[in-house]
This record gives sequence, C-alpha cells and structure tokens, in this order.
Amino acid sequence: MKIKLLLNPFEKYTESQLLTVGSLAMFVGSVLAYVFGARFDGAIDVHFSEYVRIYQPFFDNLFNILCLSFALWIAGKYINDKTRMIDILVTVMVARVPFYFIPLFNINNFISDITDSLLNNEAALRAGSFPDISMFDLAVLLVFAVISIAFFLWFVILLYSGFKTATNSKTATHKLYFALAIVCAEIVTKIILVYSR
Amino acid sequence: MKPKLPIHCPSCAETLNVSQLTCSHCQTGISGNYALPVLLQLTEEEQQFILAFFLSSGSLKEMATQMGNSYPTVRNKLDDMIEKVKALNAK
Repeated sequence: MKIKLLLNPFEKYTESQLLTVGSLAMFVGSVLAYVFGARFDGAIDVHFSEYVRIYQPFFDNLFNILCLSFALWIAGKYINDKTRMIDILVTVMVARVPFYFIPLFNINNFISDITDSLLNNEAALRAGSFPDISMFDLAVLLVFAVISIAFFLWFVILLYSGFKTATNSKTATHKLYFALAIVCAEIVTKIILVYSR
Repeated sequence: MKPKLPIHCPSCAETLNVSQLTCSHCQTGISGNYALPVLLQLTEEEQQFILAFFLSSGSLKEMATQMGNSYPTVRNKLDDMIEKVKALNAK
C-alpha cells in the first residue's frame, strides 16, 4: 500500500496537499543543490557544477517546473478538455522529488571529483583510449549510475501516474503525447538554461 | 442479508430482462418482458457512486473528501460512468 502511494500519490491526496509537498521538496532540493554543487539544467536533467550561485538551483527548478507543466498541460488539454492546470502543476512538482536526492551523492564533491579526473585525463581521451581509473572509482560511478537511473525511473512513473490521473488518459496515443511533451520541455529548458549561464 | 440483483446471465453474460414482478402486500404477480432500466444495469458500486453524487448535490469536491480520493480521480470515475451510460442508452 505504501509503495503504491510512493508511485502514485495523486489518486488519494488533494491538490493543496500535493502542492505543499511539492513546494517544500522544491525548496529543500534547491538548497541541497546549492550546498552540494548541482544544477537542474533541463526538465529531466541534473548535473554537478563547481560554481553554483545561490539563486541558480531555485531558478532552475522553477523554470523546469513551469516549462514541463505547460507542455504537459497542452498535451493534457488535447487529450481531455477538462484537464486542470493545477493537477498538472502538482504532478510535475511531486514527480521531481526523486531528482532532489541526487545532489546528496556529491557530498564533499565526491562524484564530481571522480568525473573531473576522468575528463581531465586529456592525453588518454585524445588518443581515443580509456583513461586510467581505479576500480574503486569505477565501482562508485557504476553504483551512482544505477541509483540515478532508478531515481529517474521513479520520476517517470510519478509523472505518468499524475498525468494519467489529471487527464484520464487511456490509449497508447495519449502516452505518445505525454512523451512528446517531455521531449519538447527538455529541449526548451536545455536551450534557455544553458544560454542563461 | 440483502440479495444482489443479478444483471447479467450466468450462462451467456447477456443483460437480463425482468419477466415477473410480485406485489409483496397482496401477492399479485405480473408477467411480461421488461428491459432493466439503464441505472439498474450498472454495478452496485457504480449505483452507489451515482447516489453519492446526487446526495452531495453534484459536488465532486465533496465526494472526493467523502471517498478519500482526489478530485481528478473522482472526476475520471464520473466521466467513465457517463461514457458507460451513454453506451447502454445507445443499445
């Protein structure tokens, strides 16, 4: 039952409850991103950065949420005219909760130090060979990759559950519209957030 | 215990018709072939949902609070039932 709530809280909780949770999560996630050096530089992106100004994660999250909400709302309205913006907005806000865990992996620049050492190994990269990496670092990156993918899947499940509830979508075509909306939002947010750096 | 009114034939799953009605006061029996009203062709859960909708004066928000579900969940259920009733009416 609790797992069902973690994957689909949108059937049970009111929009005001979800809005509260989503807003709180966004605030905490933004603080964590500032503290541990992460940027949410796209609707479905998280990357680590050496220099993060305090306002940047807040702006990233706000912009990503609004952009993705608008894209999904357009898709939702096309599927079902009764789709409400508030239902889509809380869906996006709550669905992004898994992303807010990712900065925690960069405590003390743990992950970014490993990836930087890989990228800084220019000689190996120019020669087209695999750079020197210790087994420990490789294991850390693999574990981080698996956990990141798991969080991303959780995000997609939450986002689709909420979208399905908000729009009463049923067919495979509706799923296609859902996917297209995410792609459009990712393209727009990526372009704007990269150029706003 | 209140027995449930069967709606579908246990043999071929087609919708049942009413062929006999009895007066519980004077035992008069009436035979015929009457189609079940559309509302009675719904499941008991769906009938309870419609009754709850009626008793809450059509307020989906109030129904959502009573049922412990979110507003869009209740709205989706209502929309699905509207489609079902339209399909039954069209038959």
